[in-house]
Amino acid sequence: MDLLSLAWKNLWRNRRRTLITLSALGLSLFLLQTFHNLSFGVYAQMVDSGVRAGSGHIALYRGDYAQSRDEELSFAEAGLSAAIAREPGVRAALPRVYLPGLAQSSRESRGILLMGIDPVAEAEVNPFWKNLPEEERITDPEGREALVGSRLLKELKLEIGNKFVVTVQHRDGELTGELLRVRGVLRTGLKEIDGSMVMVGRLRAAAMAGIPGEIHELAVILERAGDQSRLLPKLAMLTEEHPRVRALPWEVAMPNLSDAIRLDYASQKFIFAVILLIVTIGVVNTLLMAVMERIREFGVLLAIGTTPGRLRLMIWHEALLLGLLAMALGTLLGSAATWYLTARGLDLRALMPAGLEFGGVVFDPVLRAAWDVGWMLEMGLYVIGLCLLASIYPAIKAARIPPAEAMRHR
Amino acid sequence: MSLIQLNNVGKIYPLGSQQVIALADIDLEIGAGEFTVFAGPSGSGKTTLLNLIGCLDRPTSGSIRIDGRETGGRTAREMADFRLHHIGFIFQSYNLVPVLTAAENAEFTLMLQKIPKAARRRRVEELFAALGLAGLEDRRPNDLSGGQQQRVAIARAMAADPRVILADEPTANLDSQTSEELLRLMRRLNEEQGTTFIFSSHDPQVIHLARRVIRLKDGRLESDHRQSPKTAA
Ligand SMILES: Nc1ncnc2c1ncn2[C@@H]1O[C@H](COP(=O)(O)OP(=O)(O)OP(=O)(O)O)[C@@H](O)[C@H]1O
Ligand SMILES: [Mg+2]
Repeated sequence: MDLLSLAWKNLWRNRRRTLITLSALGLSLFLLQTFHNLSFGVYAQMVDSGVRAGSGHIALYRGDYAQSRDEELSFAEAGLSAAIAREPGVRAALPRVYLPGLAQSSRESRGILLMGIDPVAEAEVNPFWKNLPEEERITDPEGREALVGSRLLKELKLEIGNKFVVTVQHRDGELTGELLRVRGVLRTGLKEIDGSMVMVGRLRAAAMAGIPGEIHELAVILERAGDQSRLLPKLAMLTEEHPRVRALPWEVAMPNLSDAIRLDYASQKFIFAVILLIVTIGVVNTLLMAVMERIREFGVLLAIGTTPGRLRLMIWHEALLLGLLAMALGTLLGSAATWYLTARGLDLRALMPAGLEFGGVVFDPVLRAAWDVGWMLEMGLYVIGLCLLASIYPAIKAARIPPAEAMRHR
Repeated sequence: MSLIQLNNVGKIYPLGSQQVIALADIDLEIGAGEFTVFAGPSGSGKTTLLNLIGCLDRPTSGSIRIDGRETGGRTAREMADFRLHHIGFIFQSYNLVPVLTAAENAEFTLMLQKIPKAARRRRVEELFAALGLAGLEDRRPNDLSGGQQQRVAIARAMAADPRVILADEPTANLDSQTSEELLRLMRRLNEEQGTTFIFSSHDPQVIHLARRVIRLKDGRLESDHRQSPKTAA
């Protein structure tokens, strides 16, 4: 019978109250862990499809192209993609050319963004290509076959197989036109792409702008998002011969997506904080009540020689045990829910419109969680800390009461 | 030298803007092995006096010595340690920790003194046998009668062999027959083991059983006499 076992017995003195507090704590922790892991999974999924369609986990740009989008800031590809793609941990390296321009059909004209790509590399990883039937894919980086955004196609009143003219600015300042043919239709659900994107082979696009072999962006897709910081310096070394080319993490290259995630997570954190605040009040109440109703008993314990320090320690042990139990309960439930949500996912198709956009990425309506074990542990420890914090005041108060006075209590 | 020595002890409680003089001018000596009762009507200062002797409270004036050592002026921690090693307590009610068994309650002070479990168990077994509690070791206080609970409290008070056991109205919640039994038990322990007891009561039946009767009235000593108590039944 030491302090810990006495504390354990005291904890179960008012079984119902302890169970209620424990459930409140455990359920909060369960909610925190589950919703965090769900967001964690959804964000990871969005980052994944975001970086594949966008600038990659790491993007190489010349100068401040990421901000200015100045077409002059192109650089020679010169085998860089292949060299980077060979780097362990790199899944793909996607060279790209971006040119604002004008598309004209026989009946309409529209402003567009002409994107020059490496069709083979892109086909492997770009999610926009997933829905593209085999016969609609382009294969020749020099060809005149183009992929056209679905809305743009409609607005230009074009169909697959039709020809149209794209005009872009040549590096020498002149406008140059090129006759392209619609090979396939991009249906991404993203307004910007569906409404204004035309994709052709990157060598064709570069030739049109008079910058043969050059690119504006090299998007590097990694095997694991977590390798980003490890690979950043390696890529910097590979690009040493290209003095003004810089490697940027996706958060910098795609501020829209990272801001959208950060904002979403911030609002979630706020809800977490409110949940924790509410249970904190409950825990403080429980611990305070548990102490106040035992004042006389504490008087007896102090009288027979328990030191105030030991009494404080006993009350803190009670709080610690409560916290440990809550952590175990919450983590157990949270793990079960996370396991289910990683395996099965949460299907929101009935609740939300298809093709919802979030930070420039199409939102997958089947949400899948991912394990963030470190965070789960952190929250569990937080719950223990919360219990200990809530018991500081009652414990100090209880230990301060002079025994003679405590004995007169009630 | 007496075990307990009070010189000119006074205790004043502040009560709002007023002061309650709970004890005044108490000069008293109690020797080892005595069996003393503080008698007196309600409010006469019995509890206050026991609390001062037991180091649960500090006197406003005067000095208290136990074994020749001044008891006042210590920190709460030191006072707790002093109580642990020198004084046993029995209170009127809610004496025992309800979540602990009778045996765990009885060995509590031994646990505080970090005495190993086996030695604690031996001591408790011995005390329970002497106090007629054998077989009740694993009962919770709520499953014991009032008299049994007070006997467990006696066992706890005696466990660590204190210099003196202080009992504030130990029989106040017991019927008269149980009260008398408890007092006779305490006296037997006093006679057989030499344990010093000081208790308080306003019950004449109980007061009869003491060897020394110190009467208090309005915080002062009214009388102090020795009697040959009614012999054990
Ligand atoms: N903490 C306190 N604050 C103010 N007055 C107190 C306090 N404790 C005791 N008193 C007063 O001191 C006097 C003596 O009280 P004490 O409790 O010692 O009497 P008692 O003889 O034990 O009485 P009872 O038989 O009712 O237990 C009483 O007038 C009481 O009201
Ligand atoms: Mg009293």
